[in-house]
Amino acid sequence: MSLFHATRRGMLAAGTALALTLGTLGSAGAQTPPGVLIVGQIAEPKALDPAAVTAVNDFRILMNVYDGLVRYKDGTLEVEPALATGWEISEDGTEYTFSLRDGVTFHDGSTFDAEAVKFNFDRMLDESHPYHDTGPFPLAFFFSAVEGVEVIDPMTVRFTLNAPYAPFLSNLAYPTGLIVSPAAVMEHGAEFGRNPSGTGPFTFAEWRSNEAVVIEANADYWDGAPKLQAVVFRPITDANTRTAEMLAGGIDLMVEVPPVALSQFEGDAYTVHEQAGPHVWFLILNAKEGPFADKRVRQAANYAINKEAIVNDVLEGTAEVAAGPTPPAFAWAYNPDLEPYPYDPEKARALISEAGAEGAELTFYVTEGGSGMLDPVAMGTAMQADLEAVGFDVKIETYEWNTFLGNVNPGLEGKADMAQMAWMTNDPDTLPFLALRTAAWPDQGGFNSGYYSNPKVDELLEAARVATDQDERARLYKEMQTIVQEDAPWVFVANWKQNAVTSDRVESFSLQPSFFLLLDDVVKN
Amino acid sequence: MTGYIVKRLLSAIPVLLGITVIVFLIMALIPGDPATAILGSYATPENVEKLNRDLGLDKPLVQQYFIWLGNMLQGDFGTSFALNRPVLDEVLERFNATLFLAGTAFVLSAILGVVAGVISAANQYGWADKTITFAVLLGISIPSFFLGMTMILFFAVNLRWFPVSGMWPIYGDRTVGVLITHLTMPALALAVVATGVIARLSRSAMLEVLRQDFIRTARAKGVHERGVIWRHALKAAMVAIIPVLGIQAGFVLSGAVYIEIVFQWPGVGRMLVDAILKRDILLVQGGVVFVAACYVLFNIAVDVAQSLLDPRIKT
Amino acid sequence: MTDFFKLLARNRLALAGGIVLAAVVLLALVTPLLPLADPDVTDTSNRFRPVFSEGALLGTDHLGRDLLSRLLWGTRLSLAVGFAAAIAAATIGAAIGIIAGYYGGRTDNILMRGVDMLMAFPYILLALAIVAALGPGLFNALIAVATVNVPFFARNIRGITVGIANKEFVDAARLSGLSHTQIILSEILPNVIPVIVIAMSTTIGWMILETAGLSFLGLGSQPPQADLGSMLGEARSALISNPHTSIVPGVMILVIVMSINLLGDGVRDALDPHLKSGALSRPMAATRVARQSAAPKPAGNGLLEVRALESQFHVKNRVYRAVGGVDLYVEKGECLGIIGESGSGKSVTALSVMGLVASPPGVVTGGAAYYDGEDMIGAPYRRLRDMRGRNVAYIFQDPLATLHPLYRIGDQLVEAIRAHRTIGKAGGRAKAIELLKAVRIPNAEKRISDYPHEMSGGMRQRVGIAMALANDPDIIIADEPTTALDVTVQAQVLTILDDLRRSRGLAIVFITHDFGVVAQLCDRVAVMYAGRVVEEGRTADILETPRHPYTRRLMACVPELGGGKRRLEAIAGLPPVVDNLPKGCAFAERCLKAKGECRKGDIPLVSDGTRGVRCLFPESTSREAAE
Repeated sequence: MSLFHATRRGMLAAGTALALTLGTLGSAGAQTPPGVLIVGQIAEPKALDPAAVTAVNDFRILMNVYDGLVRYKDGTLEVEPALATGWEISEDGTEYTFSLRDGVTFHDGSTFDAEAVKFNFDRMLDESHPYHDTGPFPLAFFFSAVEGVEVIDPMTVRFTLNAPYAPFLSNLAYPTGLIVSPAAVMEHGAEFGRNPSGTGPFTFAEWRSNEAVVIEANADYWDGAPKLQAVVFRPITDANTRTAEMLAGGIDLMVEVPPVALSQFEGDAYTVHEQAGPHVWFLILNAKEGPFADKRVRQAANYAINKEAIVNDVLEGTAEVAAGPTPPAFAWAYNPDLEPYPYDPEKARALISEAGAEGAELTFYVTEGGSGMLDPVAMGTAMQADLEAVGFDVKIETYEWNTFLGNVNPGLEGKADMAQMAWMTNDPDTLPFLALRTAAWPDQGGFNSGYYSNPKVDELLEAARVATDQDERARLYKEMQTIVQEDAPWVFVANWKQNAVTSDRVESFSLQPSFFLLLDDVVKN
Repeated sequence: MTGYIVKRLLSAIPVLLGITVIVFLIMALIPGDPATAILGSYATPENVEKLNRDLGLDKPLVQQYFIWLGNMLQGDFGTSFALNRPVLDEVLERFNATLFLAGTAFVLSAILGVVAGVISAANQYGWADKTITFAVLLGISIPSFFLGMTMILFFAVNLRWFPVSGMWPIYGDRTVGVLITHLTMPALALAVVATGVIARLSRSAMLEVLRQDFIRTARAKGVHERGVIWRHALKAAMVAIIPVLGIQAGFVLSGAVYIEIVFQWPGVGRMLVDAILKRDILLVQGGVVFVAACYVLFNIAVDVAQSLLDPRIKT
Repeated sequence: MTDFFKLLARNRLALAGGIVLAAVVLLALVTPLLPLADPDVTDTSNRFRPVFSEGALLGTDHLGRDLLSRLLWGTRLSLAVGFAAAIAAATIGAAIGIIAGYYGGRTDNILMRGVDMLMAFPYILLALAIVAALGPGLFNALIAVATVNVPFFARNIRGITVGIANKEFVDAARLSGLSHTQIILSEILPNVIPVIVIAMSTTIGWMILETAGLSFLGLGSQPPQADLGSMLGEARSALISNPHTSIVPGVMILVIVMSINLLGDGVRDALDPHLKSGALSRPMAATRVARQSAAPKPAGNGLLEVRALESQFHVKNRVYRAVGGVDLYVEKGECLGIIGESGSGKSVTALSVMGLVASPPGVVTGGAAYYDGEDMIGAPYRRLRDMRGRNVAYIFQDPLATLHPLYRIGDQLVEAIRAHRTIGKAGGRAKAIELLKAVRIPNAEKRISDYPHEMSGGMRQRVGIAMALANDPDIIIADEPTTALDVTVQAQVLTILDDLRRSRGLAIVFITHDFGVVAQLCDRVAVMYAGRVVEEGRTADILETPRHPYTRRLMACVPELGGGKRRLEAIAGLPPVVDNLPKGCAFAERCLKAKGECRKGDIPLVSDGTRGVRCLFPESTSREAAE
């Protein structure tokens, strides 16, 4: 029929047109420009105000825009001078006096001095400070020991603590301690998080919502100008899409490569980077009620779960089996004598029958994903299967991250027997202090959601916090780890090795044990 | 006609008010709160309570609702907790991106769907009809996120014809050409389902119309078959097709959520999903009210178009 | 009910869909009995085994679980969820729809505004919010999916209910004192259920896709439970490196949704003949021609000459012989009447000439139709189209249905002209006005921009005539043009036609079942019965002395000229069904004078040149007939 001839002609024409268009668009997958590093991030940053954010994802940008008074030495978790050139600690460990680096200016042109340092900490800690309302500052408690900040002279500043606090310097190196420009805060108020200004190697250029954050080289950087012209951080929430972008050449650097995608980057065109860090992935066990109130059942859970299989198969070797509550990345505080609980279902069954907990029904909180949670659903499912194999009856309840935290942080009592959790910290003090002490039970404002309580552990942790001598602290932490492993308030599962993939055009990149992304030495051809 | 439009606009007001109530209630009923989301892993019950007080979430619900509604009527949609920026700015910016995506997909699906339906009906039981019918069934049976991901792998990663994701190139000029390269895959992936539904409906509407007496009249006049099909039959079939286009527009807008996630499109659907998960109450409320208002307006436009097309409808 | 299944089974695609779906459902039902691996046992060292691995026919997933086992268990769950959600949404939606549609007024208004609100809410966000509020789990996902689909059902069902609530039987039930609940349950519901089933069958597939979508957003079933959506959702992260884990559940979703859709279409067609969505076919541009033998030569009389025309309708396995060898001719300026009961084949004869018989099912199987010596049966479509309206124009019955409802009549007139020659905008308008004036439509300048529904029946028919005149054709075939009109209007239309014939020298073929009309307009008349001409001759002669018993009986039904619509059913019995014509005279069954010979063999049309009759025992005189 002639009607159809006409249509077929039309289709042919349309097809040709499409082919022609595609031909001209053939450059769609064109390479990214040299000197500009494009980083695939896992999410849109919440804000670029270091005092206001908590996510590693946001830290990756912040560490390149701001400096703190101190920083971690490359490749370690040891503190070295940054904006402070040096410091003195008083005998009793309650006064820290910093001498500041001369001639440093913020990106907005204002001068970095002692007043600026005072402004930063007062903003976070002093509720009457005029800019305290630019918060909230969820990690301000890192500095809750700080009683006051004094300007001694323009280049000297003194922090007074209410008690000796060993992690103080380490906390200053954490993003919460990064120094922002007071002038910029005054200018932008609550909008500062979108108009950041610091002293770092890169200056903020542009933030296109959900497309990119662009930072450009700061030629006047006090520690030498970076080699890149600019860095573009792209938030790509979907792991598949992120992988596809990396494969298609749309990004040069990709963080948090999904374990199943690692095999895609085996060729010469890519380099896979790995770096263990201070991360621990564990299951909180409800020690207050139910089967896990019995230590033997908690130990049985540790024996029952095949951590090797989870780490090597589910996580494709992107993590190592955890032995206790402290990750090995805190080398000085880690107790190398601890051996992880072996996979021993027989022993688990024996312990369970000893405790009379055969066939116990367990409610298991699993999250869809969240900060440091790796692949929680798959891991949870594997654990469920292992626990069922030794005679438990496990019911999983999955929640997206915020509901999950809303359920777990107030304590598991009356709701669940076990919950997934992971922490990334900067000091061996943080996690046990906030999550293992009796005084850290949820009703007292802590994160001990499983209600573990051992007076000896409490004592050790309190002592370690005020000890100023690192060797002494190390001894206390090591003893704590031995006790906690034996008590098994958690199932110790994994220590994550952070990974990243770079294309062959990227050089001089390395991951940091702090999980930060430092780009000032990176080169892109 | 003006009276009709005014009447329809007035009748939309209670619908929109109802939507504000529904979205407000839902956000109030969802467990978890923005404070937990803002404070992240370090949210202790104590901090959460304090922050909720600071955010004004400890007031009675009714009071919160009227404060919100009152502010909104004055054009103040509040500030997003999670993004630290005015809700309206964010929504407008993101809606713009969604409009590009969903609008293109909708126009594409409307044109392709109607054309496919017409060709299918005009060649009933012919090979073109069979091919189209099969393709349409296939199209409405594939989850769009699955299709989108497959398209990325094939066209972006393997063939490198299109960029993988995003709306604009990360570096370089924002020309219409590059927008089209970024738009092609997500718009196609999004359009597939709606195209299928529209094609099916167009086909049956056309078949219904083609049996009408006035088609025989047109043929008896000597009107060319092309005119019979594309003018006479299609115009009459549009009476049945247009309302479906209105409904499909809503589906495209909703389906954009998946596509925006897969293709990393900076659109409003993904924003709202994130906002719900982050309990970003004001952003969810403002965003939903805005999207719903647009949808309601669009449907009024559809009704007006319908009455313009069909003089028999009393306006 | 058996009809329903017969209809369903006749639709081959629906049948295929049904069989596939039945197989899938059966498989899902017997899954617990099959020797499958435990779907929840993980074996992480054997993860991502490919398809056709030993011990795992479809391979294993990211935790080393057997994909075949998970697929079957997942199918079971997904089907259950899809059906449950569809039933829940249909029940609630139908309840809302029926209540709104039945009570109307304020109840309707409030309910439908509520539905509007739900519809304006982007459905994925609504589902997401519901799941977030209720907590995770497949059952809550089911609630969410059902909820977002309630508006769809409510709207559909309300529309149907409004239509039913105003029907007589509902009024009768109300008058008989039934309560509202009783009426809804006994009168409304049974009539709405087919629509509900139709809507459900088309949404189940959609529901399964939606639960898959929610699982994509991480809101579906709880691990380790497998449903197709969460299988797809979990496999998604390995799509690049291990696509088979996504493809396995993806293909199953595809199969289920496609088969449900195919079956759903079939159910819709079978349950709702009014919808006829593709169950019946649309007519092609020209009637199919499949002549069994060579076209007969023209005899050379008349401008239009129909020779031995045979047209049939092929419906499934049955053949209806609508026209069984008709010979007709009409001279320039002459008016030929074709008269007969409904189903006598007169319209089909007329429509066959220009290939306007709906086809399928119509086929011209024999004969020829010569216009000025050129056979139009089997003429290429291009030539046929060229002659339609220009050489031979048609006027149809019921102008409300035959005029396009959405075009102004002026535009429809101009289009008729444009189909054959180019004409400017102003020229077209002038010509259209001129045509309207020619058929005596008052105030033509204004009327030209009317829509058909804005005119009266008589005016519309005049437009129909004007349209036929647009290209000054030589022949007008008028197919019962006055049947739908009342008597005075009928007379006016006839006058116009008669005047036009005289002033323009038109040949008219006038089809009617009304002898009064024939007497008023026609020079000659052909009487048709069961697809054949049984008598023909000059109008005056036939009126004077009808020779075929049928003609005589037909005339007896018309007491006076122009007497309006007369029922021909006054003749006892019904015309024969044309798929089963008797041997011999088709009228014999109803004929009072029929003898044995009448039923033996074919009876020829005996003609003396001007007068012909197909009867072995024709009536002798008019006087006799009148007695």
